Amino acid sequence: MATEGLTILGKTVFDTLFIDWRIMAITAIISIILFIVGMYIQLDKWGRGIPEGATKPIGAWGALSLIISSIFSKGIGHALEVLVLDVAFQRRTYRRRKLEWLMHILIFWGWIGLLILTIVAAAAEFAGPFLFNKDYVYFVGVWKSLELPNNIFGYMLVLGIVIAILRRLLSKGKDVQARNADIDWILIIGLLIVVVTGFYAQDIRIGSGVQRELISTYVATAPGFFDNATVMFHEVFTLLFCVAYLPFSKYFHMITAPLTILVNHGGE
Amino acid sequence: MAKQKPSLNTVNFSATQLMEFDACTRCGECVKYCPTYDARDKNQDIEPRDKILRWRDFMTKSYGLKARLFGPEIIPPEEIKKFTDDLYNCTTCGMCGTVCPAGINTIELWESTRANLVKYGTGPYGKQSLFPKLIEEGHNPYMKQQKDRLAWMTPDIKIAEKSDIAYFIGCTAGYNQQVLGVSTARILNKLNVPFMVLGEDEWCCSSALIRTGQQHINDTPKKAAIHNVEALKAKGAKRVIFACAGCFRAAKIDWPRAYGKALPFEAIHMSQFLAEQVDAGKIKWEKSLNKTVTYHDPCHLGRHVGVFEEPRKVIKSMPGIKLVEMKRNRKEQRCCGAGGGVKAGIPDLALGVAKGRMNDAKETGAEALISTCPFCRRNLLDGRDELKLDMSVDDLVVLTANLMGLSTDVKAPAPGAPKESISDMFRTQTIPPKPPAEPKKEEPKAAAAPAAPAPKAEAPKAPAAPKTEAPKVKATPAPKTEAPKAKATPAPKTEAPKAPAKEAAKTPAANKK
Repeated sequence: MATEGLTILGKTVFDTLFIDWRIMAITAIISIILFIVGMYIQLDKWGRGIPEGATKPIGAWGALSLIISSIFSKGIGHALEVLVLDVAFQRRTYRRRKLEWLMHILIFWGWIGLLILTIVAAAAEFAGPFLFNKDYVYFVGVWKSLELPNNIFGYMLVLGIVIAILRRLLSKGKDVQARNADIDWILIIGLLIVVVTGFYAQDIRIGSGVQRELISTYVATAPGFFDNATVMFHEVFTLLFCVAYLPFSKYFHMITAPLTILVNHGGE
Repeated sequence: MAKQKPSLNTVNFSATQLMEFDACTRCGECVKYCPTYDARDKNQDIEPRDKILRWRDFMTKSYGLKARLFGPEIIPPEEIKKFTDDLYNCTTCGMCGTVCPAGINTIELWESTRANLVKYGTGPYGKQSLFPKLIEEGHNPYMKQQKDRLAWMTPDIKIAEKSDIAYFIGCTAGYNQQVLGVSTARILNKLNVPFMVLGEDEWCCSSALIRTGQQHINDTPKKAAIHNVEALKAKGAKRVIFACAGCFRAAKIDWPRAYGKALPFEAIHMSQFLAEQVDAGKIKWEKSLNKTVTYHDPCHLGRHVGVFEEPRKVIKSMPGIKLVEMKRNRKEQRCCGAGGGVKAGIPDLALGVAKGRMNDAKETGAEALISTCPFCRRNLLDGRDELKLDMSVDDLVVLTANLMGLSTDVKAPAPGAPKESISDMFRTQTIPPKPPAEPKKEEPKAAAAPAAPAPKAEAPKAPAAPKTEAPKVKATPAPKTEAPKAKATPAPKTEAPKAPAKEAAKTPAANKK
């Protein structure tokens, strides 16, 4: 059953996402819990290290503390420089592998851009009733203004994935010769599923002529997830694949590689 | 049901190092540059990426989610042994870390993994296991005597009893590459730079132990570092010059860790010192040499410590010398193949890598290959001879001495002395061939043969350097080599040189890097 939204402290955070927020909330919470558990297991594994001279392992929290202190051991300024040049713009990859750099940047920034815009949209949903005392129209305005950057980041992601697929199919590079390199397809296909189903969901929204407004006004024609399994699958799969699965997968390097660059001060 | 114990433990790794194993993106950039992977006919087991992924897999099997839920998965001992052997097929040159997009500090990772496996029982590799005993008991890896530390000295060389500046000679220059020792000393004398040496008080820098993961055995590297630092400090050293890249790297990176704080003196490489002198206009070139040379950056001086330009500055200042670069230079140079214990442990691999580097040099059309590490020079000479290349291989210091008008002659070389003991570019001396072996007498119990024929004390036959006052330090000018005390040491094997007109001999014990 559709709802007007979520009531928090007497304020209504209007439900305008065309999807059932209850399913989204449950999936998101499960994903985040799994992510945290996965991260803890990894931290615990790292924390078992006993370097020369030490007598016992430092544990998960000790490992976290060591990582953070190592990152800032040369000062905040240096850490920020590495963060921008080596993590955000992947300078080390750019120096040697231009095509791979382009692919990474398109996927990375496409993804980060969409993530940031999603956070902005979510913030606007709460800001409307809580900060500006406005109804859902406030959010609709914000959301519409984000359409162009949303499209740009979406196309960047698609382009990056296309390059990744073509490289896999055509390249004879060392990276595709690694032992068990075939498992890279899991990430590529997973991302492809996210993108294709995402575009499909958007197409349904546009095709239905539905504008961002209260679900109750279009519930008859467009209930949560539009009664469409693909749309629901898109939202749930995206959260599980891109958040919950991360610490357990080969793609964990998406977290550890930037951390390593930061800990090693840019690797220089 | 009691859970099984993991097959491997996590000793010698820091938490961030264990994280680094998980940071490999498998891009394979390291594979493109790995010198041992190339020398081993692109064997996938040798590539850095594969080793990182295999150790990551070991750790996941031992401590990952599945291991936590159902107990660790047993890793067959033969798999660990195979991994160990592959791990030691590496010179720890650090090229993989330099090109790694994730910035993994591979040098430290390999050393920690080696130490872990030494404790496990599958490391080190081959003759590398002799290092701890040799260095702990004899303070050098060449089975030589401490009293012979200054056996290379010629009467013309002046060494001060005390000075702000010290020259840390190192085992290789001290025992096997006398040409480097005499050239360094004569340059300092000529520049009127009073310097002291530790002489019999100098202990091996212990680089070989650290690189092969054996630093924990009797804490020898720590004891050696503290001893050397304290001895230099006691003699008032403010600045210590190293002409060996391996010793310099140890002093810059490993000694402060062992010492627990910053060194009480500045460690400087001879190439840096020479560059300073060039800048100050203190070096007067007295000769010109019309030769095209190329420069090999030693891993320990370049990639590990960051000294790239100073040696080039010195070479470029030399009259007549034209410097041409190899395709792979500076941070991206190709290793000579001797480091990481490979020369001692896996000599055929060391030779394979050396040949690769000599071919790099050949491509430039240079007539001579110049380096700043005696150990690189030694291995590159082997590579040169194997390829039968018509190219000299010498040290920057030797070239500098010659162009400053100084003699690079050493004491008359003993029969069968290592080919690297004399200059390769300036052939004013020859090494007499090794006399035929005498019929074997009864072998003494549990005693090993010496590394090389012992040169008996004799007066230098042709020291071109002017005679000056005798050295003031407690030196032993006449080398008198005694039988080493270490057990199970490799028997000497002196081979005839392969390249024509190259008076050379091979001493397999001279493989410490």
